[in-house]
This record gives sequence, structure tokens and C-alpha cells, in this order.
Amino acid sequence: MQLAESRGSNMPEWKSEIRKRLAALNFPPAREQEIVEELSDHLENLYEEIVAEGATPENASREVLSSLIHSDLLAELRATERNAPPEPIPAGLENAGRLFGGFGQDLRYAARMLRKTPGFTAVAVLTLALGIGANTAVFTIINTLLLNPLPVEHASQLVAVNTAVAKSTPGPVDLRPISFLNLKDYREKNRAFSSLAGYSSPTALTISTGPESQRVFAEVVTGNYFDTLGIRPLMGRFFLPEEDATQGANPVVVVGYAAWQGRFGGASDILGRSIKLNNIAFTIIGVAPQGFKGINAIFGPDMWVPSMMAERVLPTQQHNALVDRSILVFTGAGHLKSGVSLSQAQADMKTIGVALEKEYPDANQGQTVTLQPLTQAALAANQRQGLLFGSVLLMAIVGFVLLIACSNVANLLLARAAARRQEIAVRMALGASRWRLVRQLLTESVLLGLLSGILGFFFGYEGCQLLWSFRPAEVALNFVDPHLNANVFVFVLVVALFTGLIFGIGPALRSSRTPIAETLKEEARTAGRSVRSITLANALLVGQVAVSLVLLVTAALFLRSVQREYTIDPGFATKNLALLLLYPSQQGYDRTKTEQFYKDVRDRLVTIPGVASLSWATNLPFWQGAETGMVIEGQEQRRKSEAISSVVNTIDLDYFSTMGIPLLAGRDFTQDDRGGATLVAIVNDTMASQYWPGQDALGKRLQLPGQKEFRQIVGIVKTSNYQTLGEAPQSCVYVPLRQNYSESIVLYVRTERNPVQIISALTSEIRNIDPALPIDDIRTGTKLIEQALWGAKIGVGLLGVFGFLALGLASIGLYGIMAYSVNQRRREIGIRMALGAGQASVLSLILRQGMTLVICGVGLGLTFSMLLGRVLSRFLYGVGAIDLPSLAGASLILLFVAVIACYFPARSASHVDPLVALHES
Amino acid sequence: MGGNMDQEWKKGSAELLILSLLEDQPRHGYDIGKLIESRSGGKLRFHTASLYPLLYRLESRGWIQGRWIEKPNHRRRRYYRLTSQGEKTLARQRQSWREFIGAVSRITGVEHA
Repeated sequence: MQLAESRGSNMPEWKSEIRKRLAALNFPPAREQEIVEELSDHLENLYEEIVAEGATPENASREVLSSLIHSDLLAELRATERNAPPEPIPAGLENAGRLFGGFGQDLRYAARMLRKTPGFTAVAVLTLALGIGANTAVFTIINTLLLNPLPVEHASQLVAVNTAVAKSTPGPVDLRPISFLNLKDYREKNRAFSSLAGYSSPTALTISTGPESQRVFAEVVTGNYFDTLGIRPLMGRFFLPEEDATQGANPVVVVGYAAWQGRFGGASDILGRSIKLNNIAFTIIGVAPQGFKGINAIFGPDMWVPSMMAERVLPTQQHNALVDRSILVFTGAGHLKSGVSLSQAQADMKTIGVALEKEYPDANQGQTVTLQPLTQAALAANQRQGLLFGSVLLMAIVGFVLLIACSNVANLLLARAAARRQEIAVRMALGASRWRLVRQLLTESVLLGLLSGILGFFFGYEGCQLLWSFRPAEVALNFVDPHLNANVFVFVLVVALFTGLIFGIGPALRSSRTPIAETLKEEARTAGRSVRSITLANALLVGQVAVSLVLLVTAALFLRSVQREYTIDPGFATKNLALLLLYPSQQGYDRTKTEQFYKDVRDRLVTIPGVASLSWATNLPFWQGAETGMVIEGQEQRRKSEAISSVVNTIDLDYFSTMGIPLLAGRDFTQDDRGGATLVAIVNDTMASQYWPGQDALGKRLQLPGQKEFRQIVGIVKTSNYQTLGEAPQSCVYVPLRQNYSESIVLYVRTERNPVQIISALTSEIRNIDPALPIDDIRTGTKLIEQALWGAKIGVGLLGVFGFLALGLASIGLYGIMAYSVNQRRREIGIRMALGAGQASVLSLILRQGMTLVICGVGLGLTFSMLLGRVLSRFLYGVGAIDLPSLAGASLILLFVAVIACYFPARSASHVDPLVALHES
Repeated sequence: MGGNMDQEWKKGSAELLILSLLEDQPRHGYDIGKLIESRSGGKLRFHTASLYPLLYRLESRGWIQGRWIEKPNHRRRRYYRLTSQGEKTLARQRQSWREFIGAVSRITGVEHA
């Protein structure tokens, strides 16, 4: 060593330097020692050379060390050593890293196995994706309507404030809005809320941008509405406090995102634009963010106007909403102060409510204030119940669809496991533990589940888009949009993982019990399924058939129920009836002009050929809720404990003849029932028998809610449906238009033939009277029924789709297992045929075998269907718990499909060539 | 283009260079590095951090084999020799290298003509 003398004491210790760098690689000690020795030799040579060239020892060692960090030594070495043959793993030594590494290995192996059998993978993924997709679609609906309906900040601190009215009938409290003045008092006196806002329900307005008019929905809100909810504008700004301070002074409006896109074409210069609402010029000051459509979970407004514009926007009956405590318009939305609980806030507000009742007994008697989380106010109690029932039912159904898909895939896996017996036996013989094998097989199923989850998510998304496309076109912009948020993603992920585990665990455990020695001795070709695995597959199949039958029967029951509902008599004649929704007051008409307009329309339209009669009325069928606060003469004390509630309809002459509602006693309204004459009313027979049982209601007197004068009952008519189709009979009071002026009104036209034919004649005649009046909402009597049944029809459609999806999946499963079993029995069939069995007898043998399973399934399914029918019967209309047509129809459809699914494998069995089959074995 | 060329050559031909240097006699890592540098006139240079991983990779593929040899007055060193499999690989790589160079020069020759 010529350069030995130049090795100074300050030469770095190369070995330790290198060791430091290699530590992260976890090489086996012997290997690490080799690398360290070799590299340090190299570095020493380099060092000696550099020093020989005249560098100082310090510079030399710096240069040498820099050659180590020049490129990524670690990455290079890691990549190299990975290819090296693995060291034997010492028994019983499994550190965390190895366990994780094993998982990666499992995953890679699983992916390879799935790639190797693309047909199996495709069928399994598609089957599962259909099941997961159905679940995703239903969950998205639930997520949108029930779980996450409020796109606001701090939803948990937001509280809805309502008036609660004591009711005569038991059941949930009747929640009503609050009057503006009461809301104002609550706002000023409460100590629970950091801010308290109010909002009305969406009210229909006429918007004119140029010569055309359209109907839009607006909510009247207090100036602090958006701030209270914690919502920021997408563009422009929301209301300023001074804009909601003086009545009628600031006609400004905030437009919703959907309306901005849909009605204004997403114009970028929307801010500052002037639009005419009910013939008053409003200035657009802001656009609400996407996804915020008010607080109601289903139906939202197009725009918001400040409460001080209420008189110009709300319907006539509510024009005095800002000054009259008996007009209930606003629902309160409060933001709780931090640290204040809902019950504390409730107590605080109750105290104020009691004081208000004392101070203003006329308006507030019998009313209390009630608080609930704002998210609950997003749905009315009856809406929530209906949706909850529908959601639970649909979720259960798609759950079963997914179970069928899982059992199909489990069957496929069992068949595949039979083919993999050899591979599994070899691995076990080589020392793989049972747990390790189960883990490997489960990794494969979970990977399948995740792949299906991805595809299923897209199926679900597309399904939702499709479903949403069925929403009624006239309110499409106001309808809530499907929420695809983290909830849905997490749901799909969890479903996909569980799916993988559910269908994977049975086959995996079974495979891992493979008897090694026997299997290794078997010829790979003859490896078949054990008797037990066939039994398991058959059991799965019977279950699938039973579940599909239950789903089909459920769909049939609801289909029959909706069919029956079409035949419900709503109490008025729907055929040859046209309804035109007209809002003359929104065109700036005053009372005199409006009354003249009513008269003109009557006089001129009745002369049109084909018009039998016509009348005006304030109520639209199936839209009218009952009003509370009626007073009956001689029964005034009722008011304190139990308010009388009734539907109130203001009608013109000839209403009952136009609607086809029979007069049971007394008389109809006449020309003489006008202002100044005796105030009169007509009630329905439900009201007459409820409040004057055993007496004659004619001549009795009652007071309408919010009115001071008594009206005399002059007639009794038959009860019809007011709120929903097929509802329980409820009270109704009719009052003459001439004694109860109203502006928002519906024109009813009874025609002699199909109303569609004369609608254009009607509208052109109305245009002759006023060309600017919007007439964009015309409905026929049959369309009213369609609309009333819209939700039910959508529900039945979904049930039908899922029922047939289940049937399709089950028949694929049936086909698969029959085809497999025929293939396994080729030899036996060959022998039978060689011994003289004809094609027909083989065909019937296989068919019989398959159909026995199916019939077991049908029997089981029918039993369950009848049990389920009992639960469902209270949600069905006119269909009994055990409905023979539904049970028989569903069974026949299922048997028919099952015969087809069995026929093809059976036919292929009957074509087995005995020679070939025997030769094969 | 010096540095750039250096990079590109190394990627494509480092294996070929090492196999060629081991063809006539076994060598240790430092020696291989020095030879590549000196025979290329300093144009090609391997850093410690890339040379040894490459040697280990060739070894794990079975093309070369390392052995510790102790010579008098010297430290124990690991010498690499070409295996028979390595010889075949070298022949194959040389052949395709020649074809590649030929193809490149034909194309560039035509372009310059």
C-alpha cells in the first residue's frame, strides 16, 4: 500500500457513513456487511486518488461523500435488491412491515387472478355493480331528501320556530307559521338566539321580462335571513338591514342559482337588472349559491324578496301580513347563541309566547310557540313520514337485490373454487396457513367488490339523473337537486367492502378446508364440486328465487294499489274539466278592475261552443290545507281548548254544477248573495254531521277564521277530496265570492267534450280581454289526478324496476348453476343415454331438477309475501293483505322466466353425445 | 451536449459497457469505473451510487458473478467475472447495438447527404 502514509486521522470512517445510509433498507445483516465493505473499499480508493492529485484531506473527503449522495443510492439499491431471491422467513417472526408487505402481495396476486379470468370478472363485477348501483341511487335520494337537506353552515345550531295550534283531534301538533308582528316581538325579546329570521313558503308570482310573462316562486324573507343561515352570495350581495326597514321602499330581489341559469340564461350581467314581479320593478342584487334552494327539502323558490315588500308579493288574503297578528306567514329560523340548548331556547320563547297571548288575545289565543331543529322543518311531518316509509321500503328492496347479486357471485366463486382446488391444495402443501389462504381469497372478493363499487357508483348516479328527469317539468327548476356528497361516497365504499366480504367469506372458508392429499391425487380435469358445495349453491338459489318473488309481489301490490287509486272518486267530475290559473292582481289590477275581469271572463267564455258552464274558485284541488280558527255559534267555548279546522273555499256562482258536486240540502248561492245582503255559507255533509250531529245544519251560523261576522248556512253539499286523493272526509266551508273578495283564483270550465280541444279558444278569448295576462298554467281534470298520483307512480316505477332487476339477477344465477351442474354431469348423462335414455327423458330430468328448486323458492317466497302483505296492507289502497292477482301474477312471471333459464342447459344436456361424454372421462 | 450525452449513453448502454469490460478478465468495481472513465476520454463517468446498484442488478440476473479475492498487500476486494449467461447476453447486446448504430448512421448519413 503505497499511499498508506497519507491516510490521516481525519479521514472519515467510510463504513459507518455507508451503514448510516443503508439503515433504512433493512437488508439482511450478511448482505449489508458485504455492500458496506465493497462500497467503503471503493470510497477509500477514490479518496486516495483525490488526495494524490493534491487536494486537502478535508476537500477530498467532502468530494468522496458527495459521490454517495449524487444520485439516489437508496432507491437504486432498493430496486436492485427487490429482484434478488428472498431470504427464508424465520418461522414465527412476522413484523408489521412484513404483514403489510404481505397485503400488497395479496392485492397484486388478486389482481392477477381477476385478469386471468376476464369472463368471470366481467359477469361478477356487472352483477354486483347493478346491485350496488340500485343501492347508490336509493341512498342518494334518501341523502338528498332526508339526511342532508340543508346546505347551510352550523346546521345543528339552527332552529325552526313555529306557532303550535291546539287541535281537537289527537295526533301530532299542527305547526303553523308565525305572524310578522309576533316574530318581531320574539326577535326583540328572546335571549336564546344570536339572530332570528323569518321566511314564508314559496308564493307564486308573475315575472315579466319584456312582453312575456312567466310564473315564478318567491319567498318573502326578513333581511337577516341569509346571514342567520350563514349563506354567502355567489354573486352580488344579500339584503342590507336598511333594505328591510321601510314598507315598500326597496324593491330588491335575490335570485336562486337554478333560476339564474334557467330563467336568465346564466347572464353575467344579471346584477342590477330590473325585472317586473307582479307588475312592480325589482332590482336583482345578488345570486344565491348553487345547491341552496331554501329550507324545504323538496321544493324551493326561484327568488327571495325582503319582508318589507310582502304586501306587493303575497296573495291578497295576506296583504296585511306586516300589520295583522292573525295572519300567519313567516316560519322563524333562529341561530342559537353558543351554549344555549334547544330546550333552554324553547323555555325562553314559551315565556314570550305566553306574554304575547295575554297581550293580544284576539290573535294569539290558543296558540303557543314551538321549536325544532331547522333540519326537521325542511320537511313537513306528513311528508317526512311518507318519505321515511318509502325510503325504508326501497332500501330494504335494493338491499335484497344486492343480496341476490352477492349470492350469484358467491355461486360463481364456489364454481371457481372447484376449479382452483388444485392450486389451493398446492399452496397449502407448500406451507401456506389456512388464515393466509382465507386472507388471499377474501382480498380477491374485496377487490371485486371495490371494482363493482366504482361501476355501481356510476350506475347509481345515472339512475338518479334518470329518475330526476321524471320530475314535473313545470317545477323542475324549483325541485331539489340530488346531493352527491361525501355521505354517498362513504356509503358506496362501505357497501362495496361489505359486499366483497359477504359473498367472499363462505367460499373462502370452504376452499380453505380443501383436503390436501386427496385433491392432489385427483386429476385436475375431473375435479368437481363436493356434494356439500352443491347443497350450498342450491340453498342460495332457493333463497334468490324466494326473495325475487317477494320483491315482485311487493311491486305488484303497489301497482294494483295505484291502479285502484285512479278509480278513486274525488267527489267531483274530473272528466271534461279544465282549470286555468289566473292572477289578475299580479298584473296590477285593483279590486274594481279585478271584479270586472271576473265578470267579463264569465260572460264571454260561456258563449264559446263546447263550454257547458264555468265558475271561479280560490282553491285548486289537492292543494288546499285546512284552516284553523273557525267559530261556531253556540260552541264558542270550543275555541279555547280545541280549535275547529276546516277547508275554506271562496267560490263564484255555478261552482257546484261546474264541478259536479251534488247539493244535498238547502240551496246554491245566487245573484242575491252579495255584499250588504245576509252573509251566507254552504258546508259539506262531513261538517254538518260533525258539528251539528242529529240536527239540521241549515240556518246555523259560523264565523270564518280571522273574520268577525257570523255567516248563515244555507246549503249542504257532498264531501269531496280537498287535500289528497282518497283522503279521510274533512270539513269544508264554501263562501260566495261576492261576499268574500279574493284575487288569486282558479277558473273552472266544464266542457261538453275533451277540454283539450277548446283550450285554445278559451285562452284567446281571455287574451282579448287582457293580452298581457299570463295564462301558462292550464290543467285538465285528468291531469289533476295524474299529478296527485305522481309520487305514488314514481314509487311504483322504482319498485317495478328493482323487482325485475332482482328477477333478472336470479334467473342469471339459475341459468349459471344449471349450466354448471349439467356440465358436471355430462358423464352420468352420457351413461344414461348409452343405456337407452332418450333426449326427451334427459331434458325432463334436468328441467325437473331445476324446477324443483324453483318451486321450493316460490313456495318460500309466497309465504314471506303473505306475511309482508300484512305489514304493507295499511299503506295500500283497495288491495288486501293477501292479493291473489298479485301473488299469482308474480309467481307466473317468475316460473316462466325460470323455465327459460333451465331450458337451455337442459337442452344442451339432451344433446350430449354418449360416446364423447364417456370418452372425455 | 456533453453532460446530456453522458446521461443518455449511460441509460442505454451501461449494461453493455460493464459486460464488455468483464469479457477478458474479472475486475473490481473501482477498476470498472476508472476504465470506463479513462477509455471514454473522460466523457463517460459512473458515480458510486449508480455503479454498484447496477453491478448488483447484473449479478442478480445471473450475468456476472462477484467473488471476494484477497491478494497479498491489498485489501480484500470483490471481483466480478462474466458468467456463461452473461457472455450470451453480451453477444446479443453487441449485435443489437451494432444494428442500432448502423441504422442510426444510415439515417443520419442519408439526411446529411
